[in-house]
Amino acid sequence: MDFATIHSFYTVIIFAAFIGLVIWLFVIKRKPDFDQAANAIFADEQKPKQKQQQESDHE
Amino acid sequence: MSQTKSLNVDYNYTVVRLFALTTVLWGIVGMSVGVLLAAQLYWPALNFDTAWLTYSRLRPLHTNAVIFAFGTSALFATSYYVVQRTCQVRLYAEKLAMFTFIGWQVVIIAAAITLPQGISQSKEYAELEWPIDVLIAIVWISYAVVFFGTMIKRTTSHIYVANWFYGGFIITVAALHIVNSMVIPVSLTKSYSIYGGAVDAMVQWWYGHNAVGFLLTAGFLGMMYYFVPKQAGRPVYSYRLSVVHFWALIALYIWAGSHHLHYTALPDWTQSVGMVMSVILFVPSWGGMINGIMTLSGAWHKLKTDPILRFLIVSLSFYGMSTFEGPMMAIKSVNALSHYTDWTVGHVHSGALGWVAMVSIGALYHVIPNVFGQGRMYSIKLINTHFWLHTTGVVLYIVAMWISGIMQGMMWRAVNTDGTLTYSFVQSLEASYPFYLMRFIGGCFVVTGMLVMAYNVIKTVRAKEGVLEPVPEAA
Repeated sequence: MDFATIHSFYTVIIFAAFIGLVIWLFVIKRKPDFDQAANAIFADEQKPKQKQQQESDHE
Repeated sequence: MSQTKSLNVDYNYTVVRLFALTTVLWGIVGMSVGVLLAAQLYWPALNFDTAWLTYSRLRPLHTNAVIFAFGTSALFATSYYVVQRTCQVRLYAEKLAMFTFIGWQVVIIAAAITLPQGISQSKEYAELEWPIDVLIAIVWISYAVVFFGTMIKRTTSHIYVANWFYGGFIITVAALHIVNSMVIPVSLTKSYSIYGGAVDAMVQWWYGHNAVGFLLTAGFLGMMYYFVPKQAGRPVYSYRLSVVHFWALIALYIWAGSHHLHYTALPDWTQSVGMVMSVILFVPSWGGMINGIMTLSGAWHKLKTDPILRFLIVSLSFYGMSTFEGPMMAIKSVNALSHYTDWTVGHVHSGALGWVAMVSIGALYHVIPNVFGQGRMYSIKLINTHFWLHTTGVVLYIVAMWISGIMQGMMWRAVNTDGTLTYSFVQSLEASYPFYLMRFIGGCFVVTGMLVMAYNVIKTVRAKEGVLEPVPEAA
């Protein structure tokens, strides 16, 4: 196999992997899983719930 | 500290503190050298006819100091901070982490000694000679061990997206540095690249552009994905988008380097690939920028009261601006106008001073009180002062370079009806002259802002533990 063929396969594989990623993100995985992940940065605060509460009071 | 006290974990903040403080120090040093260079371009006599004060030797000192001393120290500090807090575990291999600090400072000092002497591999952003390159590789691999070791022993199930960006940056920079630094040493201070001709140029710009893509972009995006939501007090706008952002960005950036070599001896198709990939890069870049800025949706009022958040959000605006400008400049016909002019210099600084420096400064104002046991910085007012000094400086700088750059491009390509050039080079230089003064003034603003920051940081560090109460949530 020459370089051009290897690179063609590589491009197709990368493309398929990207499409796979998007399907995994938006179809297979559910939004609550990601909400939990996104809130992980507040896990080290003592009163995260109370803080969120205050937050929504302002709006 | 009361609000953000860790639950059970005792984090290692020593190395974070050291890197955070050296970030401020090297920021002042690197940017001051930049201001001196800007002054030399306006008042050439300022090199005092001393070899090691000449522009050609100080210029790599400036770029190395701001990228590798200031920027990379900020990345070390924040990555060690973020990885511990999001993995809820103490740093892995703490002695090795301390070695990365000492090793990195030795690299910086070695650079400051060798570059003014003219000891250089003369590859842009990779000037340091081979013994320093070896030390960089050792420090960098240690960094990877500490970072990924901490990630492996995490107590949380999910790896937060910021760590993906930091991880991608660490791995890629190791690969870039090692491949581009392959040389045959002939003495302790002289070596020759193992690559030749156009291949050498391509390897250099594969390195050079990915240093921009992975060090100055992916690394600082890791910073953004932690500190923007944290400072705003709300989760990132779309976590799904952040995952797409990461994979799209790292898959595309690696192809873009050849846009630095348009209309050179590089094969034409390689130039076109670089151009196309650079244009596509606009999509994930703006996806990420929108994701960061929209995190504030519904909480825009916080920008009024919180200058730290303002630093972070304005940095994203500059990120958006330079990732629009970059792809545009990578288009060959635009590049024909912009290349070798001050426009490129302006573009780099809108990225470096606007995006990289502002996101780092914002992150440091968040980290420093936290790791020194304080609720906030000594003076919020001074953070605001810094914000306006910095913003004014950056705007003056990039506007000056846009005008000067586009004017240079137009003057260099102007031809008379008989085919001769309309302007000589000196005429274009004369036209640029006032803008070099404007750039110098802009640089002075930025350095003044950094000095204000240093004062604020010293006051915060020296205050008695816990004296500085956190700012109450604004109503």
